Amino acid sequence: MIKRLWSIARLDLILWRRTPFAIAAAVIPPIGMAMVLVTLSLAVLQQPVALVVDGKGPNAQKMQRIIQTDSDAYFLTITDAKIAQRMLDTQEVAAVITIPSDFDEKVAKGEAEVGYVLNNVDIDFSDDIRRSVDRSVAQFDAPQLKLDAEEEEEGPAGSVNPEADNQYLPNPYRVDVYKRDLRQTNVEWFSYQTVSAFILLILNVGLMGTALLSAQDIERKTSLYLVVSPTPSWQLMAGRILGGLIAVMIALLPALILAAYFKVISPPLTHWPALAAIFTTTALAASGLGALLGALFKGSRLIAMAASVVSTYLFLLGGGFTTIAFVPQWVRNLSAFVPTRYAIDGMRQALFYNNLDGVVLDLIILSSTAILTIALGSFAVRKSQLV
Amino acid sequence: MFLRVLSASFRAEIIKLFRSPFLIALVMVQAVTFLFLVTLFGLTGAFAPTALIDYDKGPLAKEFVKNLENAHHSFSLMFNYDYKKALEEIRHGNLVAIIMIPQGFSKAIAASRTAPIGVVIDNIDTDMSMDIQRALPSAITDFGRNQGFKEIRVESAEKDLIDHDTDFVTYMVVSALVLAALVISGILSGVAVASEFESKTVEFLAVSPIHPLVVFIGRVLAANIVSVIGLTVAVAVGLIGWGIKPLYPLQMAGVLLVSVFIFGLVGMALGVSMKKAFPVASFIFGVALPLYLFSGTYEPERFDGNLLWAMAHFTPLYYAVGIIEHAVLGLKVTPESVTVNYLALAGWALLALYVSWRLTRKNILS
Repeated sequence: MIKRLWSIARLDLILWRRTPFAIAAAVIPPIGMAMVLVTLSLAVLQQPVALVVDGKGPNAQKMQRIIQTDSDAYFLTITDAKIAQRMLDTQEVAAVITIPSDFDEKVAKGEAEVGYVLNNVDIDFSDDIRRSVDRSVAQFDAPQLKLDAEEEEEGPAGSVNPEADNQYLPNPYRVDVYKRDLRQTNVEWFSYQTVSAFILLILNVGLMGTALLSAQDIERKTSLYLVVSPTPSWQLMAGRILGGLIAVMIALLPALILAAYFKVISPPLTHWPALAAIFTTTALAASGLGALLGALFKGSRLIAMAASVVSTYLFLLGGGFTTIAFVPQWVRNLSAFVPTRYAIDGMRQALFYNNLDGVVLDLIILSSTAILTIALGSFAVRKSQLV
Repeated sequence: MFLRVLSASFRAEIIKLFRSPFLIALVMVQAVTFLFLVTLFGLTGAFAPTALIDYDKGPLAKEFVKNLENAHHSFSLMFNYDYKKALEEIRHGNLVAIIMIPQGFSKAIAASRTAPIGVVIDNIDTDMSMDIQRALPSAITDFGRNQGFKEIRVESAEKDLIDHDTDFVTYMVVSALVLAALVISGILSGVAVASEFESKTVEFLAVSPIHPLVVFIGRVLAANIVSVIGLTVAVAVGLIGWGIKPLYPLQMAGVLLVSVFIFGLVGMALGVSMKKAFPVASFIFGVALPLYLFSGTYEPERFDGNLLWAMAHFTPLYYAVGIIEHAVLGLKVTPESVTVNYLALAGWALLALYVSWRLTRKNILS
């Protein structure tokens, strides 16, 4: 039996090897995504803003310093009003903040304003800038409201006591924040998003690749030989899935090694076996779904489109670009039926959390998906033999 | 001769495509899928799920909660949590933050004293934790301003370039229309052309008196018809579902048709280059997702820095997004004008044709 499975898997692997474009097509998009994520990670948290400082007094300088040192929020260009306007027009900056010439006088009267002109094309980054400017303004009278994570002491979340004495400073807004972070360090944006690149790689090689290799079988008419061979239909499916799994692993392992080497991912040592199991079961489930599509449909157009639809759902509804726990309940309910959700949840849990809560359930669901695809695929293959 | 061959290949492809109603249905599903699913990204761009535990329940605490709710779409406040339950939820990744208003909050503030609020943040995702770290001071400054506290010396004064805010999801739905055009038209056209190589019919085309490219273009045009049907459904769903009224409907229709055609030609170039259906489909699907991240589909691309902005110029999606955001929402999201964006798209069409022309003979001979 193992020999039969291996023969089918080997056939697919040979087809991969003989089609360099297929390998390129499978790995270029995840590499592209990783590169885009690296570049985005340099800019995504900051908004490009021009600062015009017309005021010359000490308070204007203080305000300038507050804005200038908030490198978490602003990618700042300090310039004059004319250049700032040009930068706003050519979208080099999303906003121009101005500290007016009469700032110090107005501060003395308690009427000072920090003005800003905002290119409010959409609310996502506009709100980021609005929040950031508000925070800078708040810091002028209440420096503690910067709420900088690095300046905060780490403490167990359970110890938060808003009424703790001497833990806050009076300020003119009369509200202070006693903040505790849940974990010791923030996960870098890029590291958090790497999971998307891994999932894309698995879907592209495992699901799309396996589905389209099945289509190629039909085009090359090798499927006819396969279905009349004495090999049971479930073994045809399992062999194809094995091929998909090996192809995914060949593509995935170097990516994982590189990511670990450059510390993009650094899970606790004890989490590696769980992570390996998640990657394997995800690859199995993706290849299984690909093989199932290949067994259900005929024709490369149909299979290509079906694989693309399924992959889109798996990637986006599984949480490829987002955290499913944070979307509305009805989307969460919908995504409960999407196997990649468990893959992504499991990967994030193993990579970024201290415990492996829920990972066993994720593994069970992913393995069940693979087994279910073999069963359904065998049925589809058998049916195609009867037709 | 040219037109006869073109129309014959067009007819052949149309017959092939319409023989499979399921394929047409899948095309429509794919178009709508992109529209629906990219909005998920928008749903988590704001409104961080946050447990609000009000131990005070006084009038000023209620006012403060209002300020949190109005803090630039930052919090989705949930009120039915006690601290233990909230902590459990945040540890399971279901909440981003917990905000606690202590007993005596209203009293202290009314007596001109400062009251501390307790906040726990799940700082797993820097993007979200930063949003919260900025949103809290924003809510606090609003609270102070609204209460008219005299000690506050500085305020912010905002002036917007556009007289209305555009919702993040609306912005993304509009961009997603051209992304859907890329996926549908690219895959259908690419697979149609690659199939000529796979089924070896291309060998007959090689000895025909007309360039095989004409046959390919005929097939691409047929694939475009199916793509337009799919996209029409997506446009209807998108506009009705999200209540979007395009400012320039003709320009919107124009850019979608142009996109379908150009992405079809790009698909053709990929089909000719790769000669196999499966890498073409896998490549187009695969690149659509990273392209989504840097083609101005969720904010003007230049705001992500000059490097990504420069890179974005090498994708047709960037120009298409620039045109469609203007057509539907009247937004200018590229520094280039709409005319320049159209010209760049035309350039992409010519490039795809040139690549296909160069590679067709070479690949047939090989």
